[in-house]
This record gives sequence, structure tokens and C-alpha cells, in this order.
Amino acid sequence: MSIAGLASLIIGILWIGGGTLWLLSRRTYGVKQIPGFAMDLIGFPVELSQSVFGRKGVPYALLMPNMVIFGFFTFAPMILNFYVSFTGGSSINLFDRPWIGSANYSAIFQCESYFDPRTCSNQGFSFWRGMGNTLMFVLIQVPILCAAALATALVVNKNLVGRGFWRAMFFYPVMLSPVVIANIWNWVLHRKGILNEGLGQASDAMTALSGMAGFDMVATILFAVLLLVSSERALRASVDPSLPWAALFGVLFLAVFTWASPLAMIGFQAAPSFWLGAVLVGGLLWFVSTAHPRASWAITGFSIVAVILLLTIQFDAVFDFGRFRPINWLVQPNTGWPFFWLIFVFTWSHMGFYMLILLAGLQAIPADLYEAAKMDATKPARAFYRITLPLVMPTLVVVLVLSLIRSFQIFDEVWLLTGGGPGRETFMIVQHIYETAFTGDRPAYGEAAAGSVLMAIVIAVFTFFQLFITRRQSEL
Amino acid sequence: MMIPALELKTIKKSWGALQVIHGIDLHIEEGEFVVFVGPSGCGKSTLLRLIAGLDDPTSGDILLQGKRVNTVPASERGLSMVFQSYALYPHMSVRQNLSFGLENLRMDRVEIDRRVDDAAALLQIDPLMARRPGQLSGGQRQRVAIGRAIVREPQIFLFDEPLSNLDAELRLQMRVEIANLHAQLGNTMIYVTHDQVEAMTMADRIVVLRSGQIEQVGKPLELYNRPCNKFVAGFLGAPQMNFLSGMIHPDGTLDMDCGLKMPVRLGQTLSQPEKCTLGLRPENIGVSLDGAGDMTVKVQNFEQLGSVTYIYTVFANGETLTVQLGQQIPLRRGQEIGVTFDPNRFHIFAGEDERALELIGRATA
Amino acid sequence: MGLATFLTRTRGSADKANRIGAADILAYGYLALGVLIILVPVLWTFASSVKPERAVDSFDTRLLPMSQIERPVEGVGNKTSWIYIDEAGTTQEVFKAGPTRRETDVATFDNPTDVFTVPRTGLEPNEEVRIATENYLDPILKRNGQDNFTFFTYLFNSVFVTVMATAITLLINAMAAFALSKYRFRGRLTFTILIIATLLIPSSIILVSLFFVVWSFGIFGSLWGVIIPAAATPTGVFLLRQYMLTIPDELLEAARMDAASEWRIFWRIVMPLSLPALSVLAILSVIWRWNDFLWPLIVLISDPSAHTLQIGLTTFSGEFDSDFHYILAMTVVSLIPITLVFVWLQRFITTGIATTGLK
Repeated sequence: MSIAGLASLIIGILWIGGGTLWLLSRRTYGVKQIPGFAMDLIGFPVELSQSVFGRKGVPYALLMPNMVIFGFFTFAPMILNFYVSFTGGSSINLFDRPWIGSANYSAIFQCESYFDPRTCSNQGFSFWRGMGNTLMFVLIQVPILCAAALATALVVNKNLVGRGFWRAMFFYPVMLSPVVIANIWNWVLHRKGILNEGLGQASDAMTALSGMAGFDMVATILFAVLLLVSSERALRASVDPSLPWAALFGVLFLAVFTWASPLAMIGFQAAPSFWLGAVLVGGLLWFVSTAHPRASWAITGFSIVAVILLLTIQFDAVFDFGRFRPINWLVQPNTGWPFFWLIFVFTWSHMGFYMLILLAGLQAIPADLYEAAKMDATKPARAFYRITLPLVMPTLVVVLVLSLIRSFQIFDEVWLLTGGGPGRETFMIVQHIYETAFTGDRPAYGEAAAGSVLMAIVIAVFTFFQLFITRRQSEL
Repeated sequence: MMIPALELKTIKKSWGALQVIHGIDLHIEEGEFVVFVGPSGCGKSTLLRLIAGLDDPTSGDILLQGKRVNTVPASERGLSMVFQSYALYPHMSVRQNLSFGLENLRMDRVEIDRRVDDAAALLQIDPLMARRPGQLSGGQRQRVAIGRAIVREPQIFLFDEPLSNLDAELRLQMRVEIANLHAQLGNTMIYVTHDQVEAMTMADRIVVLRSGQIEQVGKPLELYNRPCNKFVAGFLGAPQMNFLSGMIHPDGTLDMDCGLKMPVRLGQTLSQPEKCTLGLRPENIGVSLDGAGDMTVKVQNFEQLGSVTYIYTVFANGETLTVQLGQQIPLRRGQEIGVTFDPNRFHIFAGEDERALELIGRATA
Repeated sequence: MGLATFLTRTRGSADKANRIGAADILAYGYLALGVLIILVPVLWTFASSVKPERAVDSFDTRLLPMSQIERPVEGVGNKTSWIYIDEAGTTQEVFKAGPTRRETDVATFDNPTDVFTVPRTGLEPNEEVRIATENYLDPILKRNGQDNFTFFTYLFNSVFVTVMATAITLLINAMAAFALSKYRFRGRLTFTILIIATLLIPSSIILVSLFFVVWSFGIFGSLWGVIIPAAATPTGVFLLRQYMLTIPDELLEAARMDAASEWRIFWRIVMPLSLPALSVLAILSVIWRWNDFLWPLIVLISDPSAHTLQIGLTTFSGEFDSDFHYILAMTVVSLIPITLVFVWLQRFITTGIATTGLK
């Protein structure tokens, strides 16, 4: 039996035996008071400290168990981490570990070029690859997660039918375990899984449809009608253009712009056209949301451009996808798909939690503010920027910090979905620490601890940087 | 001599650097109903909490039945308290609320039931015993809170502004009930309030507090008729005593700013003319509609309540004078009326601390 | 109807059209899309988990669990049943009497010795809808050689860890929160700051040294090694503290006047009054502990009898990479308890977390 086991046995005997004696010597308990006696026994140390030190001793006794666990299992490891990172070998006994100075750190920093992890030592390569991937993951994940959570919170905060049901549905994935989530998505994303099957059938159907006579004409007319209706609705909403309709118009415009690909005339592929279109639409929506007096002119201009572009599109060519080749979503290297699905699944499984926090923040905004804004004839978009956003900012900062810390620690989903692969495309820093310390024949605890210390520094820097740039908003 | 039920010896209390009680000495006899009264922030609630043992005094001694109890925790002082918010345990039924304290003392179940039933009968809350506090009205909650204090059969009852959450009608009713309760139980009771009417109607003795110090202690009418300073005089009585400023000469001549000149018989000697304040109770002023009297004033406003008439008037120099008449008279705004004063009912306050000057031959009622 | 007004709208009815609201349409569209993305994978997994092994292995994407009928043939054993359709369109139930070629030998079940040859293209599998309960029952009852997935051990371990950790968490977090919210004492600010600091320490950066600590306490490899380190949660202390601050001090003072000891005040007054916050923490704690993965993986991996459901499922998925039908069934099994909790408490969970101020 270990020392800790012995100690807990002695404490247990003292607690139960001593407590029983102490309680029974002071009070009498009937048969009915057995539950009361049990609770008194659990709280016996608190009672004891009250009778010895008076009421002043009580808070310390109450804090004790929690702080002991924090001390041993959070603060002590924090400090111990530094020590372990300066020791080598694979012994599990702390006193057996030789002091090797900063060798673990220099192994990580042993690189010929700091811009290419492949020039580093094995340790360094693994660490920097993990760190680089994690940073990229965090930088993409946090904004997407927060934007999705905020958008969803805004939508479910509206007065809609079945509000409770929608909220609950978005929270459901939060309750699922990573293993379950990974198994579900592995099954869906398998090369022969439902997603590829569905995409294949959809593209076959579209290809078949586009082969039919007159498809080009029908599609052109359909898009023209949609474009005209949405732009007309956007313009006519009231004095200023309506943002939701403008958004719908923007989506249609983007599709038309991408297909027509005006940049192809000067020799580009379709992708740059898409990005240019996205920038144009973003600008338009911003223009509309600020309720600029020329906004309706801009929409009119855009719809003229869209109609002209529409005439140049050969729809039967656009929708001819040919034969669909299934993609191995989680395995195919150099496609970016594994990384994409990681972000997708992470958002899928965590968004609900942050949505609920933001929802609490939104509900704390008094409704009469919006009523006052309505009396002042404030546009909804303006009300969002000038009332909702500033007032929900403190909550949003909390969500940003929490999701940043959470995203940095991503392990479960990656390990179970891609295992860090293909190659090391999704290899994350926690996986580096885990594999260095706990898998393999010669566990390198020192190197793993050094990696943890560096990771802690990076997280701290990020968190403080984030708090620094959002400090003005969070003070509000 | 009987040992006082409660004795306070130079009690002081500070919260950090802020001193809120500045040395209080007080005796309270067995069976007395004592009311602490004063404006908000005067330290009356703090003093009560010190007595209860919920806070510890910074210095000074608290003696219960002659025994020093400074270090005795609240639960062992044998006092019970009715809180301003009633502090009923919201998750327990009325019966559980009443018996909780007795269970803590490991009392016999039969005895607990007896006491709870007795208290319930006394306060007429027996039909409510199974309800939760949330299902009770304000007055019912108030009774349960008092019941919880009664079942402990304490040496002293402490009340911390217990009626301030009730509406006016209920307050009147509960005031009578608490007074009856005191007559029935005969326990010592200490009652804190900011409402001088409660103090006047319920107390055997009133303790007027200001800024952590005792201003005056005494029977209600004693305080009303012979306030020791301007603060006590202004605090007790509604409508408030009229205050007129002016000078008093060593020969006893009053020379008021409003033009009033009147001799009074001083019971003490003054070395030189002093600034003073003349206090006049509104009910001690006579009125003549034809303008005859010591002074004439202009009617600004008036309230005819049937049995009583309040007349709000103003002197030529702008000082106001409120008059209370026990009869109905015809009045109109802007009318000039004459007022007469009775020098035997004057209160004169002078000096830095605005203490009352001794007057000879003053009427007491 | 909506579409008709949409297309036939005239200028005069602009106000009426506004009430239909593009914003509302977009909102419902967004919600419907979101719920589809959330539910479809889960429901598809569920639908797939009751399909027979053959259908799962061949990635049958039909919704219903179709399985090929098998019938006994005298002297041969069970044979799968096929339907043969000849040119005239008449159908015949047959089984394959030889290897599958372009021209395949088949025979009818009634007359197995009468072998005749048909073109392969005329054969269709003879299928019926059948719920493949064996996917669930084999691993759980250890039939068909599936004795690696000791379901009830895993379930017991998971429930034990979840219940014990949640009970300890609730008790000690509530005690700490009570001290921090209702007492003035030297060091209160220090303790509060320490706990908030813990909130910002990610658990994965202390992984290695926590392993050393747990090992030297002698609880490595046991369930207590998972329960104890996670028992004190800063989130819990913070959440309960915020809630307890709203309990009026006068209640505690009344209890003190009622001669209740501080401990008795804690569990007779403060605990019952904190019930809303305690339930939220209980739900969070159950989610955390039930779904915990990395730390149990480190502590418990070496001892299969101490595996929790999550670890058991992981190793099971790893060992039987191709036995998708079992993996899917066990995935569904381990998602059922938490789903039931969710369905039962969903309204409470969402409003509770949103209102108890996880802010």
C-alpha cells in the first residue's frame, strides 16, 4: 500500500470514528435522525473547527477540500511541470530522474531554419508541426465558432415558434462524447459513406438535368426572376434597402458572378472570380447595413451587372458535373479536406455550448432598449451594431477566451477522426505531448513537459493579447 | 437593585476606518419595551445586531442578566430576532420554519410541537402551518416571523424594523398586535424603527439615536414635551415642530427674525445675547381670523381633515409656520390671519449643539 | 400560399408583405438547416446500426435495414435466396448452386437437385426488412466470439466515475462557494483569485506532471485517479458562488439566531436554496465526466477491467476496424443514456445554463 493510501485510511478512520464519538458525546440522535447524523458526520471537521476556532475558522474548513484538490492536482503539477521539463530519462519516479538542464528545450529549438519544421530535430519537427497546425486551427476555428454561435444565438433569441426546441437541438451535440462523435462522422464521411453517396446522386441528377433541351433557357429565366424579385424587394422594403433581402440578392449575385467568371477573360481560373465576387457582395452588404443614401443605387447597379453576366452563362455547362468521383474525406492528403472536416466537426459539437452563453448575454439586454430604438426609427442592422453588439460584447469576450483555450487543447476529435493524418496534416500539439509521454516504449516525459510549458506560454500570450485588444469592449 | 436585562457599556463599532457606533451606554430593565429610533444610517440596526451577536463590537461590553456575552455566539445568547425582510426559510413550511430553531437545540419532539402549536394559536396562524412562505401575504409572513421568535421563549425579543415592508393599514394593525403581545408575554423587547409614530405608540422608553450616539432616552411623552435638543424636538411629532430663528438676550427677551418680540423666563443665566432657535409645536398656536394676535401671517395652503385643520402659513420674512387646529374654520389662500403664542410652551435651543434652554413655569401637557 | 403572395404582390400591399418578413423566412431556414446538419448524421448512424453485417459492409445506403433471406437446403445447409426473373417476366425463388459467373448455376429450394443455368443479370437478391438485433446483442451478451467488449463492466465504470465525481464535485464546490460568498475572512480575495486563475489553466498543459502526481498518490490505473483530480472544478465554484451571493444574508442570520451551527446552515438552508445552480452544475458535471476522454485514456488504458465506456468503445473500434456493424451498434448504445437524459431534461438544461449565469 502506498503512503497516500495509508494516509487516506488513517484520515478516514479518524474522521468516521472520531466524528461519531464527538457527535454522540454532544447530541442525541433518534432512529429518524440517521440521515441527519450522516450529514453531520460528513461536516464533522467543519463543526469541529467552529467549536475550536469559532465562526472565524469555518470558512477555512469549508474551503479546505476544494483547495487541497486544486493544490495537489492543479497548482502542484503547474510547478512540477517546470521541474520535469529539465529532467531526462523515462523513469516514473521523480527522484530517479536525472537533471539535464535545458536539453529538452534545445532539442525542440534545434532547427536549421525556423520557417521549415522539416529542418528540425525529430522532437523539434513534431513540436513545431503540432504547434503550427494548432495555431492554424485556432485562428480558423475561433472566429468561425464564435460567429456561428452568435448567429445561432441571435436567431434562437427571436420570437419564433418552438424556440425551446431549436435551442435544445443546437445544444444536443454538446452532450455527445468525442468517441461517439468521431464514430458518427467516420461513418458519414467514409469513402462509401452517405455523404459521398448523396453528392454523387445529386451531381448525377444535375448532370442529367443539364443535358435536357432548353435547360439553359429555363435556368437563365429562373435566375433572372430570382435576381429581379430579390433586388426589387430589397429596394422597396421602406426608405432604406432591407438587409435580409439584400443578403439574399448578394448570394444570388455571387453565384452568377462565379459562374460567369468575368476574370476568365483576362486569363484567370474560376476561383479568383469567386473571391472577387465575395468581396463585392461583402462591400455591398456593408454599404446597405450602414443605411448609406446611395445604397439603393448600388443595388440597382449590381442587378444590372448581374443580368448582363447572366446572359453570358452557359448553364448546361455549369451544371454538367460529369461523373462524380467519391472523395476520401478524412484520408486524402494535400486536399485540405481532413482539416476542413475537423473544423466542421469541432464547430458541430461545441457551438451549442457557446450559443447558450451568448444567449444568456442577449437575454440580459433589456427589451425596452429595442423598443426605444424602434421609436427612434432605428434600422434593424443599426440596432444590431449600436445596441446588441456593444451590450453583448462582455459575453462575447468570455466566449472568445473560453473557445480559444478550448480550441488550443483539441485532441479527442483529431485523434479519433484522423489520428493526426494524413501524414501530419492534422497533427496537433496535445497529440505531440500525449504521444511523446504516453505511447511508445521509451516515454520521454521531460520532452513532453517542455512542450507543455511552451504551449502554456503560447496560450497565455494569446489569451492576454485577446483580452488586450478587446479590453475596451469588455469594460463596457 | 434588580439586575438589568441588558446593559451596554461604552460600545463602539467600526467597519475598517469608518466608525459607526461612538460609545453607547444603556440599561434596559426586565420586561421593558424599548424602541431605538433615528434617521437611516444612525446606527440603530448595527446596535441591535451587536446585541444579537451577529456582529462583534470593536470595544465595550454587552451584559445580559449581568453576564458579559461579548464572545458568546448569537445562538447561545437566548435572544430571538424578527428581521426586516422576515428571513423566513423559503424552502420550508410554516411549521418547519417555527420548529427549525428548536430542532437545532435538540429539543424533545413533544415539547417542540407544544410550543409551535401554542405560538400558532396565539398568532392565529394555525390554518397556515402547511404552507410555504411564498404562499403567504405580507401580514401572515410577519406573524410567522414573530412566531418563530416566540417559540424560542427568549429572554429578549429583538425587532429590526419589522413593519417597514407592510402597507399603512396593516402596519397600524400589527402595531397594536405587537403591543398586545408584549402585554401578554411580558418579555423584554427591543424594537428598531425609523418611524417616530411607531416609537411613540409602542415604547415604554424611547432611545433616540443620531450618528452612532444616543441623543436622548426617556418615556415617549417626556421626550415629546421636554426634548433635550433641536434634533429630538424635530424628530418626534408630526407635523414637525416649527423652528424660527432669532436672538435671545440675557434678560430673557426673544428677538426673532420674523419680528416677534416676547419675554420668556429663563431658568438659567446667559452671559451675552445668543443666536437661538424658537421651537413651536403646531398644536400650541392659536389663530384669530380677524388678524388680531401676536403676529400676522399669510395663509399659503391649508388641509381640512374634519377633526383637524392644518394651516401652512408664511411670515413676512419668508419663514414658514404650520398651525394645527382641532376644529374646522373657513379659510382661503392668501388670507392674512393673526396667530397667538403661549410662552409657557416655548422650546428654545441655543449654542453649538442646539441644546434646549431651561425655562421656568413651562406647561407639560 | 406564401409563394403566391410573394409573386403576385403589388406595391399597395407592401406593409402586409413586410409582416411575412424575409428575416423570419431566413431564420426558419437557418434553423431547419442547422437541425438537419445536427440530426441527420446521428439518425443515419442509428439507422445503420440495425442493418445486418452484409448491408453495413457493402455500405447499403437505403434507409431501411434490408437483409437477404436465408433458407435451409437439405444436405447443404443455409443458402441465401435470390429471385430469378426470366425474359418473359416470370419470377422464381432460387439459390446459387455454384460460383457466380456470367452464366450461373442455380436451383430452387423445393427441388435442390435440379440445377439449371441462368444469366447473372437476371438474378436479384431476395430481401426482407429485418432489424439486426445481433449487432447489439452479440457484444453485450458476448456471443459469436465478441467477448472483448465487456459492456457491463464499462457501463459500471462509467456510471461509477460519473456519479462519484459529480457527488464529490457538488459537495466540495458548494462548500468552497459558500465560504467565498457568505463569509468575510482574511484571504478571501486570494482564494477567489486562485480559483479564477484555475479557470484559465488548460488541463492539457499539466497532463505530464499530473500523471506524476497521480502516480505518486497510488491512484494511477484506478477509477479514483480519474475521479479525484477532476472533482474540484473552478467553473463549479464560480457558478455556485455567483448564485449564493443572491441568497439574502438575513436568512443565514435568522438561522444563527435559531441556534443552527454553520454546517447545519450550509446543508439545511444554503444547499436547498442553491438547488437551481446545483442542478446545472450536476448536469455539466455529468456531461464532462461521462464524455471525458484524454485523461481516462492515460490513467486507465493499461487495465481493461477499469475502462470506461468511452475508452472501451475506442479500443473496440481500434481492434475491429472492419466490424462496422458492431462499432455502430455500440456507438448507439453509449449515446443512448446521455440522449435520454437530454430528452428528459432538455428544457431545464437549456434555460438553466442560460439563466444561472455561466457568464
